[in-house]
Amino acid sequence: MSSPKRPTKQLPSLPYDLILSCLARVSRLHYPTLSLVSKTFQSLIASPELYKTRSLLNRTESCLYVCLEFPSDPNPRWFTLCRKPNQTLTNDKKKSSGYVLIPISNPNSATPGKEYNGGLVAVGCNIYAIGGSIENADSSSVSILDCRTHMWHDGPSMWMKRNKPATNVVDGKIYVAGGCKDSSNGMEVFDLKTQTWELVLSRSLKNRILKSTVVEGERYSFGKKVGNPYKPKEGRWEDEGDRKYQYWNLDLLMALTCNCVIDNIVYFYSTYGGIQYCNSGTRCLKNLKGLQGLPKFHGYSYVKFADYGGKLAVFWDTCLPLGGFRGMKISCAVISLERRETKEIWGKVEWLDDAVLTVPRTYKLVAAIAAIL
Amino acid sequence: MSSNMIMLKSSDGASFEIEEAAARKSKIIANMIEVECVDEDKAIPLQNVTGNILALVIEYCNKHIVDDDDDVATEEASEEEEEAKKKKVDDWEAEFMNSMSLETMFELLLAANYLNIKSLIDLVCQTIANNIKDKTPEEVRKIFSIENDFTPEEEEEIRKENAWAFG
Repeated sequence: MSSPKRPTKQLPSLPYDLILSCLARVSRLHYPTLSLVSKTFQSLIASPELYKTRSLLNRTESCLYVCLEFPSDPNPRWFTLCRKPNQTLTNDKKKSSGYVLIPISNPNSATPGKEYNGGLVAVGCNIYAIGGSIENADSSSVSILDCRTHMWHDGPSMWMKRNKPATNVVDGKIYVAGGCKDSSNGMEVFDLKTQTWELVLSRSLKNRILKSTVVEGERYSFGKKVGNPYKPKEGRWEDEGDRKYQYWNLDLLMALTCNCVIDNIVYFYSTYGGIQYCNSGTRCLKNLKGLQGLPKFHGYSYVKFADYGGKLAVFWDTCLPLGGFRGMKISCAVISLERRETKEIWGKVEWLDDAVLTVPRTYKLVAAIAAIL
Repeated sequence: MSSNMIMLKSSDGASFEIEEAAARKSKIIANMIEVECVDEDKAIPLQNVTGNILALVIEYCNKHIVDDDDDVATEEASEEEEEAKKKKVDDWEAEFMNSMSLETMFELLLAANYLNIKSLIDLVCQTIANNIKDKTPEEVRKIFSIENDFTPEEEEEIRKENAWAFG
């Protein structure tokens, strides 16, 4: 362009697909900031095309979400982890490594008013909230959070009403068990392709299921006793004769209030054991080694894990020292996991942010979960 | 064949001589060569690209055609050699992009898009992406001359609710 020089430089405007191509290469951690640039950017950041471009360019990444409950609000609130702009960090460089939990805000999309402790799974860019209770009545409803637009919509309902069911995803299907008043109401399977629920009858679910986990494609459920593993591939429950699962012991069950499976290893936290893992081969508990820089969590702390793209994301809370113990701060750390030659697993704290959010003391940290965007 | 030279002519009338192999980095020019609409004595007119930008495009293409040739010649190069070579290219690209203003970068991206040179589009987009991240909304507006289309009331609301982003 040979026009005379203007005092302010005028950049040539880029066509839509090139802007998308640039934005798609920016980490999703920066998207909340970018959506504040203009209305155009706001709609670009929530557009399906952007996420299609990200996946074409192989730029999809794990994105962390946490669900919190506040006594003043009947609806749980959702937050997502993002990065603050650099400029804002110059003031408090020492305290913060730049991460912050921000509320997902979409005025057109209120969080469904129900509790869903336990009934959460992430599938791609969606988080499924399954069952729960609405105004103290168990629910069969399924709500889906589209993490691209942060809009909730309803999915197909389950056959049974379930509060706090145990949920897992294996091979394109969501397995849901427990949470029913009548414990004989077995397991339901949601086929993500056909979007339909199917009941799976079972003989071994007499015990009330509280938790479940999936290791090497076998789904284990836990209640007052450990249930027989279900083999999704074969569509059957493992025989009583095969007792290898019996080593999933009570310790593990107790600890399962905070667990997550990464590469077929179950990681969990308990106040007495700290962060431990269970190797599917030996089925015995080991302490996660390393973890330099990670503080010891308090007995009162909520601790939640999430599989953060093969790394372990940990959220925990601490009372704020000042302010008469009225407030809490939520901290976050991402831990990379390395299997050493001795077959022990070592955790290395990649980053730790002391306060990604401050909350009133009476809140509840319900869950942490990672979607792929 | 690689010694075959062709001529390119920019929108402001500057002519450039470039090896055919390098020019083929552009799908548009490669197509023109395929369908034989390139007259050996005549320059290919590129109406959407100015001389200073075309010079950068040619610099990029020349650099990468040499690298591609090397790849063929040393097919059995060790992993370390491959890595060293990749690092060399990365360093060159970083230097290449580092030397230009954002305005030039945008024009280069438009030219790469017009000429359909995928690897150059990728490189410039990535550089622009690196420029956007970690910036405040205001900085991004300034850098890209983006009009702030929020109403003053909306802007105030946004700043109140997202104080973490504005500092």
